[in-house]
Amino acid sequence: MKYITRVNGKEYEIEIDQEEQILVNGEPYAVNFQPLPGGGTLSLLINNRSLEATVDERREAYDVLIHGELYTVQVQDERAYRLAQARGVSLGAGGDTAIRSPMPGLVLDVLVEEGEEVESGEKVVILESMKMENELRASRDGVVLRVLVEKGASVEKDQELVVLGDASAAEEEEEAYEVAA
Amino acid sequence: MTPENLLVRKFDKVLIANRGEIAVRIQRACHKLGLKTVAVFSDADRTAPHVRYADEAYHIGPPPASESYLRVDRLIEVARQSGADAIHPGYGFLAERAHFAQACYDADLVFIGPPPHAIEAMGDKQVARATVKAAGVPVVPGTEPGLEDDEMIAAAEEMGFPILVKAVAGGGGKGMRPVHRPAELADAIAGARREALASFGDGEVYLEKMIRDARHIEIQLLADAHGNIVHLGERECSLQRRHQKLIEEAPSFVVDEAMRQEMGAVAVAAARAVDYVSAGTIEFLVDRDKKFYFLEMNTRIQVEHPVTELVTGVDIVQEQLRVARGRRLPFTQDDIQMKGWAIECRVNAEDPYSNFLPSTGVISDISLPTGPGIRLDTGVYEGYEVTPYYDSMISKLIAYGETRGEAVLRMRRALEEYSIMGVKTNIPFHQHMLESHRFLSGQFDTRFVEERFSMTDREAENDLEAAICATLVAHRQGQQASQIVAPGSRDTTNWKWYGRWRRMR
Repeated sequence: MKYITRVNGKEYEIEIDQEEQILVNGEPYAVNFQPLPGGGTLSLLINNRSLEATVDERREAYDVLIHGELYTVQVQDERAYRLAQARGVSLGAGGDTAIRSPMPGLVLDVLVEEGEEVESGEKVVILESMKMENELRASRDGVVLRVLVEKGASVEKDQELVVLGDASAAEEEEEAYEVAA
Repeated sequence: MTPENLLVRKFDKVLIANRGEIAVRIQRACHKLGLKTVAVFSDADRTAPHVRYADEAYHIGPPPASESYLRVDRLIEVARQSGADAIHPGYGFLAERAHFAQACYDADLVFIGPPPHAIEAMGDKQVARATVKAAGVPVVPGTEPGLEDDEMIAAAEEMGFPILVKAVAGGGGKGMRPVHRPAELADAIAGARREALASFGDGEVYLEKMIRDARHIEIQLLADAHGNIVHLGERECSLQRRHQKLIEEAPSFVVDEAMRQEMGAVAVAAARAVDYVSAGTIEFLVDRDKKFYFLEMNTRIQVEHPVTELVTGVDIVQEQLRVARGRRLPFTQDDIQMKGWAIECRVNAEDPYSNFLPSTGVISDISLPTGPGIRLDTGVYEGYEVTPYYDSMISKLIAYGETRGEAVLRMRRALEEYSIMGVKTNIPFHQHMLESHRFLSGQFDTRFVEERFSMTDREAENDLEAAICATLVAHRQGQQASQIVAPGSRDTTNWKWYGRWRRMR
């Protein structure tokens, strides 16, 4: 079985026929993989190099914790990968990005307007939670497609606050609006 | 001579008006001294360690602190109900509220802390400044409180920038704003007033000159009710973000024995000026020329007390309890020697790669670091939910070594071993800091984390290994496809469930 696996912008093609011998980008690795009883922790020997990892499954990815560092890993089998390619969708690239509230809180300020260009790291929303003012920042360069909250609003965890997209997408949306109008 | 409104008396049962790791820490000291413990808990904390480890536990209200851990009437009532004859406030919550200490006194309960008037004097920044100044302690230049915005703006121009806007009732960085240019001052005053009003119900602010390249160095004190005050040396707490400390160590890289004794003597004088009893800390700003200025006094046990415990061998919480029972300190200043080096990393549920945003959720898996020189003070467990009701600190990881180098190496190893899943933690921040040249050479100040330290140059080392792990997990899950359900429809993840299912077979 062939998998396409992505982590931190890198892509690996991993082929597993027998679990003890896998191919990563065509290169063989001797693997011994042992989940610990009771849970998320597993022991992995890769060419006898010993690693402990903790794995958690999320909506569309696996969280893998190794030596204190958290890796978000997306795994697709070859079939799903080809289907996605045919549809022109690839994981982790492009598309709209929603900035969500990481916790319940109160919106103290919205610093952007729809149509505004933002750079990655720019302050977008000030959220008060845990008695602190928290700055939520743009996770990418792009254009503000939608602002879904206003100053003074109470928001829930994971609620979408602002949607960012590509500049071209913003234009298309605008055109569509003009046509509709 | 016992200070006014402070009850100093033998007691046998202690109500701990707190939660989390500090409640557990206090229980440990109580058990060591043969004292019974009474825990209190909100709806969010029924299964928390501080409840499970206590001799007795009482429910006090819903999760918001204002309806539970801050309810003075409920706490006094539980003390009566349980027969507790003393209350330890821990840190945060009611620890530095003079009215709580007074309420304990009025209810004939021993308050394990300083007298109400000392809390009040040190809690009001301006009174504190005036009091210690009169005792000969150097203070940072600043304005009086109660000024109108335009008066403050005029005063700021006279003092020169940069300056700090600070809340009179503030603490922990709340209601505090640095201002570098005159044009930003009006906004900063408004923001600080707003935050101070929300956090403390008091929007009063004042200005203080900002000491550039300042280090935050503090002196730990212990005082008994017989007039003895001893300092336990310094802690270096410069590594902070938005005035929240992240890493503390003892001793400090820049303090030598002569400076230690000088700062210690000044700290003792400041405490004596308010008839201090119990554990307390005098915080100083230290400039590039090693001149130090009084910043504030914390009239409580502090989060970072363990580093001092490790280098002095003094159990500070135990001494707090003994002193509250009327005992004399069992040592004099000459008995206190710092030996070795200790470092503490505060492990918070925060994402260091996203501007330290708090991360809430259930801890789905946890394994703890152990081994020589490692101490972990924690209040969480597998299945614990990090909620927005309380602060984001999960635990304090403390490493001890004969030298700073040994402490750093032990800490690095412990951070690698420490695995927490379900919420994001700032462990990668600590790892990155402990590998940085600036940290290793001791070259940092209170602005370092915010202005000159970045996570973006951190290279993840195990991309390939993580990819292999996740793919093998996906592969096995695929083979067990009939057993897999949608995420969230079982109380544990598919992967964990798979592990358990496999074991049962």
